[in-house]
Amino acid sequence: MKSFRRYIDKIKPQFEKGGKFEKLHSSFNAFETFLFVPDTVTKSGSHIRDAMEMKRAMSVVVLATIPALLFGMWNVGFQHFLSIGQDAGLWTEFLFGFIQVLPIIVVSYVVGLGIEFAFAQFRGHEVNEGFLVTGMLIPLIVPPDTPLWMVAVATAFAVIIGKEVFGGTGMNILNPALTARAFLFFAYPQDMSGDKVWIADKADAFSGATPLGDALVGDPISASVSDMFFGFIPGSIGETSTLAILIGAAILLFTGIASWRIMLSVFVGGLLMGLIFNAWGMNGYMNVPAYTHLIMGGFAFGAVFMATDPVTATQTSRGKYIYGFLIGFLAVLVRVLNPAYPEGMMLAILFMNVFAPLIDHYIVQSNIKKRLKRLKTINIELK
Amino acid sequence: MQDLVNIFVKSIFIDNMIFAYFLGMCSYLAVSKTVKTSAGLGIAVIFVLAITVPVDYLINKYLLSAGALTWISPQFADVDLTFLSFIMFIAIIASMVQLVEMVIEKFSSSLYNSLGIFLPLIAVNCAILGGSLFMQEREYESLAQATSFGLGSGVGWLLAIVGIAAIREKIRYSNVPAPLRGLGITFIITGLMGIAFMMFMGIKL
Repeated sequence: MKSFRRYIDKIKPQFEKGGKFEKLHSSFNAFETFLFVPDTVTKSGSHIRDAMEMKRAMSVVVLATIPALLFGMWNVGFQHFLSIGQDAGLWTEFLFGFIQVLPIIVVSYVVGLGIEFAFAQFRGHEVNEGFLVTGMLIPLIVPPDTPLWMVAVATAFAVIIGKEVFGGTGMNILNPALTARAFLFFAYPQDMSGDKVWIADKADAFSGATPLGDALVGDPISASVSDMFFGFIPGSIGETSTLAILIGAAILLFTGIASWRIMLSVFVGGLLMGLIFNAWGMNGYMNVPAYTHLIMGGFAFGAVFMATDPVTATQTSRGKYIYGFLIGFLAVLVRVLNPAYPEGMMLAILFMNVFAPLIDHYIVQSNIKKRLKRLKTINIELK
Repeated sequence: MQDLVNIFVKSIFIDNMIFAYFLGMCSYLAVSKTVKTSAGLGIAVIFVLAITVPVDYLINKYLLSAGALTWISPQFADVDLTFLSFIMFIAIIASMVQLVEMVIEKFSSSLYNSLGIFLPLIAVNCAILGGSLFMQEREYESLAQATSFGLGSGVGWLLAIVGIAAIREKIRYSNVPAPLRGLGITFIITGLMGIAFMMFMGIKL
C-alpha cells in the first residue's frame, strides 16, 4: 500500500496545472480520493466537521443494498430452478443468480461511470460519488432477464437526461435510478412486464406471474404472505424480499442517512389507501388485504431506497410527511385502479419527485408567514 | 353527479392540458420563473376556462352544430355552421376575457392587480381555445359537464405550471451546461414531468 501511495504521489504532478496530463485531472482526482483519504483541507469560511461526508454516505447506502442484492441473486437462481422443476441446492442456485446478475451490475457501473467521467472531464469539475448508489440501484430494480444493451441504454439516458443536464450529482430533480427504470418501462414494455420476464431462462410451461400480476388480472394471489415477506417470489432482482430490504432500512436509519419520516409515511400512506379500498371493495383487487400491498412488488424497496433519496425528496420535515404519504397513497391507487400498470411505486415516486419542490416552497412560505405574524404580535405587545 | 366528478378528475390528471396535449406551452414556458407569478397566471387560466367553455358550449349547442338553429324556426334544420367554430370561439374568448377584465377591475382592484398583465395575455393561450374545441369534439351532454371540464382543465394547467415553477426555482443555482440554460432545460424538465404524469394514463373513470 505504501509503495502504491508513493507511486501516486510521484505521478501526481503530471496531472496538476501545467503538467503533462492536466486535462485528465478530474479522473485522476476521482481515483485518488476513491483509494485514499484526501489530505486537502478547505482554507476559508466556517465549517462543521462531521465524519459523514458524501463518499461515506454513499458507501453506506451501497452497503445497505447488499442484503437485498445477495438475496436477489439467490432468488434469481431459486426461481430458475423452480421453473424447470429441479432442486439444485443453495450454492448452485446462488451461483446461477450471481452469473445472471453480475453482468447487469457491471454494465450499469461501466456505462454510468463512463459518462460521469466524460462529463467531469469535459466540464472540468470533479467526479461525483452519486453514481455509486445509482449504479447499484439500477440492477436491483430491473427484471433478471433484461438484455444488457437495454440496461446500458437506460443507464445512459438516466445519467445524461436525468442528471448531467441539471449539473450532476445533487442537482437532479428525478431519481436517476427510477428514471432509468421508467425509460425501460415505456421504451420496451414487452420486455418489462408480463409473465415471462421475471424468471431467468424460465421453462415455458411454468407460470411466472408475480403477485402483482395475479392481482391485476383478478386471480387470487398464489404466493403466501410469508413467501412474499421473505421474498420467494418472482420479481425484479432486489425487490422481492421485504426482510432483506428491512435490514437495509435498519442500516440506513441507524446511520441517519435516510429519513425515517419519509419511510414511515410511505408505509402509512400505502396502508391507509389499502384500507380505503378494502372498505370500498368494488372488485377482487380492492379486497386484497391492505398489508399485502406493502410486501408485494416494489413497494418496500421504493419506500426504503428510492423515496428517501435526499436529493429528490422534500427537504422540510413537514414536507417529508406529505411527500411520503402521497407516494404510498398514489402507489396503491395506481396498482388497483390503473389497468395499464401492474406496479405503481415507480411512477408514484417520480410523480412526487416532480412536486417535491412545490411542497417545500409552500411550507417555507407558510413558515415565513407564521414568523412574520409572530413578530408582529410581539411588536404590538412591546408597544 | 358522479360523471361531473369523473370529468373533473380526468381533465386534471389523465387529460392534463400540458402533459397529455402540450397545449398552452408558450405562457407555461415563459411565465414559470417564480411560483408566485405562475400561480397568478394559473388562477387566471382557471377563471377564463371556467367561463369560456360553458359559454362556448351554449354557442355550439344553440348556434353552430348541425341542426342547432331549429329553436328559431324548423326550416333551419339542415343548417350546419360548425365551420365557423374557430372564429366564433376565438371571438368569444377574446370578448369574454375583456369583459372579465373590466368586471374585475371595477369590483376587485386587488385581484385585478394580482392578475395584472396575465388576463389579456391568456386570450391568446392555446389551452383556452383547446378547451373549447375539446368540449366540442367530446360532445359533452350538459352545461354542467362542460363547466366541470373547463374548471378541471384549468386546475390541471395550474398544477403543471406551479410544479415546474417550483422546480425552476430550485434549480436556479444548479450548474446546468451553458447551452441548455433557460428554455432548454425547461423543455427537458417538461418532458420528465410528462413521464411522471404518465402514471395516470389508462385509468378508466
